[in-house]
Amino acid sequence: MIIETISAIYSWGQFAPAFGLVTLAVIILMADCFIPQIPKRAYSIIAAVGAVIAAVFMTTDEFHNSFGLIACLSTALVLLLAFDYHKVTCASVGGPDVEDGTSELPALLLIACAGVCSLVQAHDIIMLFVSLEVITLSSYVMAGYFRRNQGSVEAGVKYLVLGALSTGLLVFGAAWYYGTTGSFLLSTELVYNLFSNINPALHTGFYLAIGMLLIGAFFKAGAAPMQIWIPDVYQGSPTPVSAFLAVASKAAGFAVLTAILLPFAPLMQVYPDKVSSIISAIAVVAGATLLVGNLGAICQNNAKRLLGYSSIGQAGFIIVFYTNLSSPVLTANVAGYLVAYMLATVAAFFAIAMVRTQRGSEEISAFRGLGKTNPRTAFLITVAFASLAGVPLTYGFLAKFNSFAFFVDAMQTQSGLIWLLPFMIVGAAAGFYYYFKVLREMYWEKPQEGDVPLQVPVVTVAVLTGCAIALIWLGTAPLIFIPL
Amino acid sequence: MIQNLPWLFLLLPLVVAAINWLCFSKCSRAAATFSILSALVTFGMCVAYLRGWETGTPDTYTWMPIESEGAISLSLGLMMDALAMRMMLVVTGIGLLVHIFSLGYMKGDPSNLSRYFAGLSIFMFSMTMIVLADNLAMTFIGWEMVGFSSYLLIGHWFNKESAADAAKKAFITNRVGDFGFLIGILLTLAVFGTLSFTEMAGKADAIAPAVLTATIICLFCGAVGKSAQFPLHVWLPDAMEGPTPVSALIHAATMVAAGVYMMVRLQVNMGEAAFTDCACTVIATVGAITAVLAALMALQQDDIKRVLAYSTLSQLGYMVMAVGLLAGEAAMYHLYTHAWFKALLFLGAGAIIVRCHHEQDIWKMGGLRKRMPLTVLSFLAGTCALIAIPGFSGFFSKEAILDAALAKNPVFFWVGAAVAALTTFYMARLCLVAFWGEARAHGAAEAKEAGPTMLLPLLALSVMAIISGYGFVADDLVPFEGFHAHDFTLGLPFYVSMASLILGLVLAFAIYGLGKRKQDPLAGNPLSTALRKRLYIDELYDKGLIGFVQGSLARAIDLTDNAGVRGIGTLGTGWIIGKLGKLLTWFQGGVLRRYAILAALGMLVFLFLLASSSFSH
Repeated sequence: MIIETISAIYSWGQFAPAFGLVTLAVIILMADCFIPQIPKRAYSIIAAVGAVIAAVFMTTDEFHNSFGLIACLSTALVLLLAFDYHKVTCASVGGPDVEDGTSELPALLLIACAGVCSLVQAHDIIMLFVSLEVITLSSYVMAGYFRRNQGSVEAGVKYLVLGALSTGLLVFGAAWYYGTTGSFLLSTELVYNLFSNINPALHTGFYLAIGMLLIGAFFKAGAAPMQIWIPDVYQGSPTPVSAFLAVASKAAGFAVLTAILLPFAPLMQVYPDKVSSIISAIAVVAGATLLVGNLGAICQNNAKRLLGYSSIGQAGFIIVFYTNLSSPVLTANVAGYLVAYMLATVAAFFAIAMVRTQRGSEEISAFRGLGKTNPRTAFLITVAFASLAGVPLTYGFLAKFNSFAFFVDAMQTQSGLIWLLPFMIVGAAAGFYYYFKVLREMYWEKPQEGDVPLQVPVVTVAVLTGCAIALIWLGTAPLIFIPL
Repeated sequence: MIQNLPWLFLLLPLVVAAINWLCFSKCSRAAATFSILSALVTFGMCVAYLRGWETGTPDTYTWMPIESEGAISLSLGLMMDALAMRMMLVVTGIGLLVHIFSLGYMKGDPSNLSRYFAGLSIFMFSMTMIVLADNLAMTFIGWEMVGFSSYLLIGHWFNKESAADAAKKAFITNRVGDFGFLIGILLTLAVFGTLSFTEMAGKADAIAPAVLTATIICLFCGAVGKSAQFPLHVWLPDAMEGPTPVSALIHAATMVAAGVYMMVRLQVNMGEAAFTDCACTVIATVGAITAVLAALMALQQDDIKRVLAYSTLSQLGYMVMAVGLLAGEAAMYHLYTHAWFKALLFLGAGAIIVRCHHEQDIWKMGGLRKRMPLTVLSFLAGTCALIAIPGFSGFFSKEAILDAALAKNPVFFWVGAAVAALTTFYMARLCLVAFWGEARAHGAAEAKEAGPTMLLPLLALSVMAIISGYGFVADDLVPFEGFHAHDFTLGLPFYVSMASLILGLVLAFAIYGLGKRKQDPLAGNPLSTALRKRLYIDELYDKGLIGFVQGSLARAIDLTDNAGVRGIGTLGTGWIIGKLGKLLTWFQGGVLRRYAILAALGMLVFLFLLASSSFSH
């Protein structure tokens, strides 16, 4: 009976981009096996082109979905990053100058991206779960991909254990959901029927179900209390994988969050109490996430770990959007924030990868004196970090501003939420401190003896420049890009 | 799309400045080419628009509109009336000539020329912003931007300490005026309810005169700073430390005139009713004081650029006085003729300085009339316009101001006439000493005619200095809606100005002869020393205002800043937040068991929050 329903609500065509990406991944794996002449680095480029094509599909009417678009684009960028990072990958997988076993990384990235592509089409829990697991399982492997690197292996194990915890809870929540509603569909009608049921025990069970599903989404999105894996895993994973987890996987998390929460939006008028109790729980999560992410970042010295905390802090600002659940432009604004976050974070990871490759360190102090030795690159990195911090004239500022604006709107109906505002202000202020640590290192610190100017790879220059231009362009152009 | 073409006026110089800074910092030839092209294109567009080319009303851009009731959003829009477009012609026209002149002037200069041309382009952008702004907020942005670009260009030779100091002085002095300007803008917003020039019209009648007076005087503070009026005039002479083409463009023709332009813009759009009698008196008096003081100080300056700088001050005083006399038309007329001939004088001075091996002291020149005849001839054309010899452009516009003064308030008329005599005297002194007689120094003896990139702009400007005052040119070009060069009549103003002209010339010839003297016969007495020392006003500011008043204030502020803001506020909060962050990261020590427990605890809290709320309803 369930099978029938599923085939009734989905068409094969909906999953064309996902199938395409998986096919490409399989082709890459096959080619790697049977045509060893192809240089391994080329697979990253081929895969990136594939991801871009999937992204183009995501803009068509049939597949239109902003989360999917963001995930595909960021996967493409991450693949380019993997291209530049190839040398370190080789050294950490098979040993220096051994290329064996490096081409699975692009394939895995593609499969994970396919997971996001099918996830964004899901509107029932089964599809949601399956797609989510496609992402998660490939991420486990990718996090531990550098098998000669102890940090990477540790990251893989930690991600696996904590991920299992969250997956277990998600399945448990799904069971509760089915038990209380009799269906796996995520629809307003179902929620409405349940809320109009007078049996209070059913309501409690339903809330538990929603809560556990949300925890699954929080895990991917990196929100408290499920943010706990982020710093260790980001620090330990290969840099391209950290970038993937930070952007594409996070976008998937917010796609799940949206899918679960949006059915409640139309009920704001009918059952204001019931919906607002969910919103207040979300607000608590937002507050905790903002606090942990932004304050935790203050004392970090490792650039990747810093970006880990930063991703938690930024997730806090995105969750704030959901306090204004009934807004018709909620999804567009969340996607807008994610775009700002994606452009800046990918650029930051590119910078870290470049510094790591040439200076051998991922500490913030490795950025020392870049303002002197590589002024132009330093400027591009500055734009990325300024956007993360929310400096006006960058897109990051508009995104953060929108988060505040949404919250102010939400307070019109729910004045009890005002306690969250100081958390947001403290979070935004702390951001200036910890993001500017990198800038301080670049401009205030002098290059040490023996610091030669970095050789910036062509792809890195292109991506950094593109991201910087996009951030400034979107940040200065009138608001046509993010509807408020 | 095409109606947005005028935005190129702003975007082109901005983009050029950006690429000069970012991409061509090592390639000055490309930087110069791009800057000159940008000036050329904007000039061409300006001519096209003035010839009646129409592209429609450009779009207005609002960044982050605020849509709630009664809120004011700041927008960027272009206002392309006759006042703005004709002013644009002055800006881009002189801008273009100065760009070309710079090629010759800066040739072989060891400093970074890309930086120089980028600075010129960013100035063109900022000045355009002021001229084309359709609201006061946008004017203010341009206002600050010209201050910034002027800072960059004055300090172009920043290795020279005096240049770096002058740049700072110009910037900081302007800040004082801008502070008043900002208050004025906020007051305007409060009493007019809008910052848009077009929406201000006709609202002044309903506002209490006292409030209006306060608003106008605060706005005038901005003009006092930017147009270097007394008591904030001190920065302009020092600004001569910058390259001479910069002095011509920024500190003579355009930026310093922005104050006058802004006041006339207000007069036109707010209506003359907004300018209460009290405000007018203040404005006219400030203008008159500046005109007199600056002309006096110019009498005893030896540096050729400083003489011209003081003369600029004094001419700006004339214009401000005209604004105060509600003769915006006359003010803009004089602004326009002055822009051409003063740019000519500065560029001429620049050519002379370069050819005399960077010698600026007129007592070390002499006899240049024979060695660089064309340059001297064009310089003399500018001088004739400045001292208002009939037939030259300056004569017509100065007459217009004197006529207006006589009609409104004879006191200002006589002040104007006295300044005219002083002007004639110091300019005649400059020319006699520098151009006649024999070379008094090595540099002047070796001077030769300026090169084509310098001569061409000089000749073009000479033509404008001569003809721009006549009705057939002025009616089309003076930045004022419906301007008409009024018919010239013989009358009291004419006789008086002729008398002062002759008085000045006779005195100059009597004292300086035909440049035979080796040093200034007037030097040495207390009066001339006082004039030479700028009437001790700068010293008073340095010692009294800055050393004593500002010094004590700064110490008090520093104390509260260090102990209160920095100590308790910043470091204290920072310490607390930092400790809190440490505490939060303590959980992330890397032990997996602890992670799982924490996550599980967090989940329990979250589920409890959700489920418990279901019990309550």
